[in-house]
Amino acid sequence: MRNPIGWAALTAFSLGFFLFIYAPLLVIIGYSFNSNPVNMMIWEHFTLDWYRGLLGLAERVSDNNNRAAYIESTDQMFKALRISLTVAGCTTAISTVIGTATAIALSRYKFAAKGFYNGFLMLPMMMPDIVLGIGLLIFFVTIGMQLSLLTIIIGHCTFLTSYVFIIVQARIAGLDPALEEASADLGASEWLTLRKVLLPQLAPGILGGALLAFVISMDDLVITYFVAGTDSTTLPVFIFGMVRRGVKPEINAIATMMIVASVIIAALGLWLRSRKTD
Amino acid sequence: MAMRRQTAVLTALLSPVTLFLGVFFLLPLLIIAVFSFLTPGLYGGVEWAFYPWNYGRIFGWADGIMEIYEPIYLQIMARSLGFAAMTVVLCLLLCYPVAFWVSRLPARWRLLFLFLITLPFFSSLIVRLYAWLLILKPSGLLNTVLLGIGVISEPLEILYTPAAVVLGMVYVMVPFMFLPLFSSIDNLDRALVEASMDLGATRFQTFIKVILPQTLPGILGGAVIVFIPSVGNFIVPDVLGGAKGLMIGNLVEQQFLSARNWPFGSALSMIVMAVVLTVLLTSITFAKRKGGQNA
Repeated sequence: MRNPIGWAALTAFSLGFFLFIYAPLLVIIGYSFNSNPVNMMIWEHFTLDWYRGLLGLAERVSDNNNRAAYIESTDQMFKALRISLTVAGCTTAISTVIGTATAIALSRYKFAAKGFYNGFLMLPMMMPDIVLGIGLLIFFVTIGMQLSLLTIIIGHCTFLTSYVFIIVQARIAGLDPALEEASADLGASEWLTLRKVLLPQLAPGILGGALLAFVISMDDLVITYFVAGTDSTTLPVFIFGMVRRGVKPEINAIATMMIVASVIIAALGLWLRSRKTD
Repeated sequence: MAMRRQTAVLTALLSPVTLFLGVFFLLPLLIIAVFSFLTPGLYGGVEWAFYPWNYGRIFGWADGIMEIYEPIYLQIMARSLGFAAMTVVLCLLLCYPVAFWVSRLPARWRLLFLFLITLPFFSSLIVRLYAWLLILKPSGLLNTVLLGIGVISEPLEILYTPAAVVLGMVYVMVPFMFLPLFSSIDNLDRALVEASMDLGATRFQTFIKVILPQTLPGILGGAVIVFIPSVGNFIVPDVLGGAKGLMIGNLVEQQFLSARNWPFGSALSMIVMAVVLTVLLTSITFAKRKGGQNA
């Protein structure tokens, strides 16, 4: 690209692309501070009312019926958040353990079905979530399992195990097997070598996989939508329900807080990665 | 490599994933296949009797008594394929130049823009779609701005159209296209590009003959990763599409949660599964053949 006009055009196009990605998020953040409750596209003045309402700081008893409805949905929102965190926590723990074990098995052992496993583990990631969601729904109903937190956790683990597997496997590929060979030559048992030599070296990869699993589990909508019981709504499903009923200023405030949370998590992930290379 | 023979440790490492995915992944997929051939019950359940007309309603061999063939299902399937293909092409057209640009930036800026492209992975899908609802609705930001500066005199009706669905899908899928594309553009052998230019090829010839073939793996990878979740998507058309933006995912969802015809819903999702497996197998075969040629 030695042509300055061409480069300038390319730069303009690229900056436009990033604007396309970020402008919608900025729109939400901007309107979450707009006091106009009727038409949020018309700027009235700056307010924190929507945040106050959400965080339960607004008066609980009010003569305005609308207000009462919002406050009720605040309790539901916090419940949904609690459920999301519980689900994501359990999912992360389970899928990290299974995914890591699988990655070690497939990278460090020789066996006949290895090629099959490598291909098979791609499937849960590539299967459209709606197919997996309804498959699990029919399965749980057929075996008579009550839809609950547990069914959501199982649903998330089916595809997140593969994500953890991929990340940990990539990490193992970059390791020097000589250390494990030395450990084995010096008389350590297989378990000991695994625990004391391989796992510590894998820790950053495992942490990265766990973080990814947590983030995806927190955000999963489709599978949760099908396998969640009436009493186990997660935050994305809760917001999906609100969005389906129409645009409301409260959604802007929830959405803004979620955007901020996601930026913090992403920055944390980046910081963790940069520390590892030190 | 420290390759060891099959041992008790290997069995211990491999059995959790085998059991878990066997029971909670393979079995559910198998059950969908079985259900798609069962008789829908009167009140939402199933009767365990063979019933070929779930597929007949879709493909045309319905008996006309119990079930009627409706061409609309194939039309919606074709539309879903079309939307997914358009999403792939638009993502590619957007990402290719940008990936090129990012790969030519100084190291610090590269990192910043790569971070910016991965950030949406961390933010909620439903929040990102909701943003477009705010922008596209008749009294939304786009119309307010366009009316305000006098470009249009009537509000544009974009929301609840196919265009809104494709726009929404492009928006949520674009990072998935960018990353594989970027890694292959970044690995481009610049010496070859320079050689081509020095030998008198035009920019266009260089692009077609040198750059495009080298970045084909990234294009293919990105296309598959974007196409598959797009074709079965139901959240984007649910939020942004109206009746004309309905996709096969919406049909499946309706059969399970409102119409309560699970066997028919299973038959529909078997078609989604068939499409996905076809795309996957084709791309794997293609990639293998390509790899074989280069080796």
